[in-house]
Amino acid sequence: MEIRPIISQLLRSKTAALLIAIQVALSIAILANALYIVNLRYSSSSRPSGIANENEVFTPTARSVKRPTHNEAMAQQQRDVEALRALPGVVAATWTSQMPMSRSGSTSSFSLDRKQTRQSIDLSTFFAPPGFIDTLGLRLIEGRDLTAEDMVEFDDEKDSPTKKFAKVAIITKDAADVLYPGTSAVGKTLYYGIGDDAWEMRVIGVVERLQSVIAQTGPKAEYSAIIPLLIDLTYPKYAVRAAPGQRDRLMTDAEAALRNASLTPRLIFVRSSEEDRNNRYRNERALAWMLIAVSALLLLVTASGIVGMTTLRVAQRRKQIGVRRALGARRIDILRYFITENIVITTGGIFAGVVLAVLLNQVLVSQLELPKLPIVYLAIGMGVLWLLGIAAVYGPAWRAASIPPATATRSV
Amino acid sequence: MFRYYFLLGLRNLARNPILTLLMVLTLAVGVAASISTLTILHVMSGNPIPHKSARLLVPLVDNGPVKSYVPGSQPEDRQLSYRDAVNFQKSGLGEYRTAIYDVSGAIESARPDLPVEQLNGLAVDADFFPMFEVPFLYGSAWSRAEDTSRARVVVLSRNKSEKLFGKDNPVGRTLRIFGQDFRVVGVLDTWSPVPRYPRLINSSGGGLSGEDQGYIPFHTATDLELPNNASTSCQADERDPGYQGFLNSECTWIQFWFQTKSAADRVAVADYLRGYVAEQRKLGRLMRDAPPQLFDVMEWMRYMEVVSNDAHLAVWLSFGFLLLCLVNTTGLLLAKFSARAPEVGVRRALGATRGAIFRQFLVEAGVVGLAGGVLGLVLSAASLALIAKQARTLSVVAQMDWQMLALTFVLALVASLLAGLLPTWRACQVTPALQLKSQ
Repeated sequence: MEIRPIISQLLRSKTAALLIAIQVALSIAILANALYIVNLRYSSSSRPSGIANENEVFTPTARSVKRPTHNEAMAQQQRDVEALRALPGVVAATWTSQMPMSRSGSTSSFSLDRKQTRQSIDLSTFFAPPGFIDTLGLRLIEGRDLTAEDMVEFDDEKDSPTKKFAKVAIITKDAADVLYPGTSAVGKTLYYGIGDDAWEMRVIGVVERLQSVIAQTGPKAEYSAIIPLLIDLTYPKYAVRAAPGQRDRLMTDAEAALRNASLTPRLIFVRSSEEDRNNRYRNERALAWMLIAVSALLLLVTASGIVGMTTLRVAQRRKQIGVRRALGARRIDILRYFITENIVITTGGIFAGVVLAVLLNQVLVSQLELPKLPIVYLAIGMGVLWLLGIAAVYGPAWRAASIPPATATRSV
Repeated sequence: MFRYYFLLGLRNLARNPILTLLMVLTLAVGVAASISTLTILHVMSGNPIPHKSARLLVPLVDNGPVKSYVPGSQPEDRQLSYRDAVNFQKSGLGEYRTAIYDVSGAIESARPDLPVEQLNGLAVDADFFPMFEVPFLYGSAWSRAEDTSRARVVVLSRNKSEKLFGKDNPVGRTLRIFGQDFRVVGVLDTWSPVPRYPRLINSSGGGLSGEDQGYIPFHTATDLELPNNASTSCQADERDPGYQGFLNSECTWIQFWFQTKSAADRVAVADYLRGYVAEQRKLGRLMRDAPPQLFDVMEWMRYMEVVSNDAHLAVWLSFGFLLLCLVNTTGLLLAKFSARAPEVGVRRALGATRGAIFRQFLVEAGVVGLAGGVLGLVLSAASLALIAKQARTLSVVAQMDWQMLALTFVLALVASLLAGLLPTWRACQVTPALQLKSQ
């Protein structure tokens, strides 16, 4: 196949070819960036939270109308857990101060040394008793679980966290890697707070994952600690694991059970971990879907552009094609001519598109704190557009090849 | 002549129907994508109270511990401690002042067999209502005197009132909330500023969606030891136990607003803040070497990053898509116009100037743009409805207003004219003799 006549022909009538190349370039620039963002958002929304079989876990919250005293609250909490455990179909139940992805809870600063002026890490603090790890189905990869002896009772009316607090904690693997890189975290000292009066604690275990309540994008989502502190909460929460398939029924039953477990009226809400995840990631998913829709439309528009422009070029050169056919060119030659021509145009557009994609990404990085575009997305964009170009040109090129040689002899 | 060209353009839409349809569709899709993302950005970053946004000011002082301060950094939290908020209340500065925090409680029913109702609302000062021009359906706000006397009074939102009392006027009735008897003094008319600028840090839906169901006086709330129901940040570890210990601590959890008489009075508030920080430093507080900050409504919304980066991102990418559609339309118009070369040849031979040809074809491109605009409008409305359904927090911002409606047409028209420039120019280049000869 001779490429030189194609090039010289292209140089003669540039407009249509240039328009196709520009479309291809713009498509790659947008497509590569959009796909990358879709993947970022999608992978963050489907990250494991640490809860095993998330669709079997739900969280009832029961809040008293009048603020109970510390002792009343503790006794009520115990009654509630027992009432929940007594429900047929409940595999495990426990109280907790917060749940992953639920978007309400507390975060505290921790340090490795009292001399530090800034914290070493901020951890999402889950106050919970032994049984929390089992209920959520977290994977303990090092050390031991909490025991009843670890529990420390904390009365907000009397105690201050610099004078009385839990002595041990379980942290996540990601937090352990930040705090004690290269060594085992178990047995290490960790301070709750910063400065001289920070409270000394010991790490007794490491869980593989436990997503924070905010579930930030990025590694911070995995910075959590489980602390055996018995406190009365404004919103006492319970984590309940249902037998497979029983969750929806138990969510209704749990509400009734909690209503009956207290003599004074209470506000009761029940939410499943599945709902927590959907609520947390709703916007991420919406953006991902929007970008997928735009990408699909984009490919459609570009394909129609290539079809349209090639049809135009074929129409303009009907006579020329007829002459070539009359002079002995086979159909396959004509077909190859237009396909090769299109490959030349798309390839030009693709290279311009890669430059454009990197430029667009740089704008997005500087303006919107987006990470840098990995090369693989450029490669995907190039591949998709290249195939799209060939597929789109095939129809018009085939029609060109079907032009009978007799056209050349008509109406000269 | 314009009218004639316009009618001609309309009639020419029917010529090459497939090509025309493709053009109109491409333009419409591009315009719809841009308009729907732009609408979301426009509503998110709109001014919720344009006539006085420059007079509503948020003060912010950095009360974090000096040992963990990195010079030049922003404070860890964007709220105030109780001590600073109360001092600002007492300052007497500006026309109105209010402190705000989130309270949550239960409304007990008179009948014990009925379930309790939740009340998620705000603890505010009496000035809150005139300051944010809150409309009342029944009754009115409580008085400043009731602020200081810690009166048990409540203002309900219209929705909550209708839920509790139906359509009746509940002013004067008593509700049992937080275990206390509260007198209903007012009911708001429907009021949902977008964004919810008075209290962007809340736990009842965030900056865009959700509603405050009721309002009680700030000092009544602290008197009842109601905890903050939204974000609370405690940088220093040392504090006394109990609620009083919390109030005396440097924990930050309160939002504050000043309203000044004129925008120029901002300087006075800024001066006061600087003096305040210096004075507190003598008492051993606010030891960080960070200047106090002051924000008006628009500055505050920017500081709070109400408009998410995702909204900007969507606009960037969809305008890129519009550009692609524009190039595509250019190509299609080129195809359409080049088929009309003989017609141009005849017109030119009969005495039409190049200018006349230029005008005719540009008008025709504009007609395509108008058709694209109409279809684009339909598609934008559909895509906005889809977005509102997908992301609940976006449902209030995914609403088109007249400005955006007009912009849709302007955008479609400008896009089509831009796309039409090159093909039109090419049409003008037709040499009449050559065209006539080949016919």
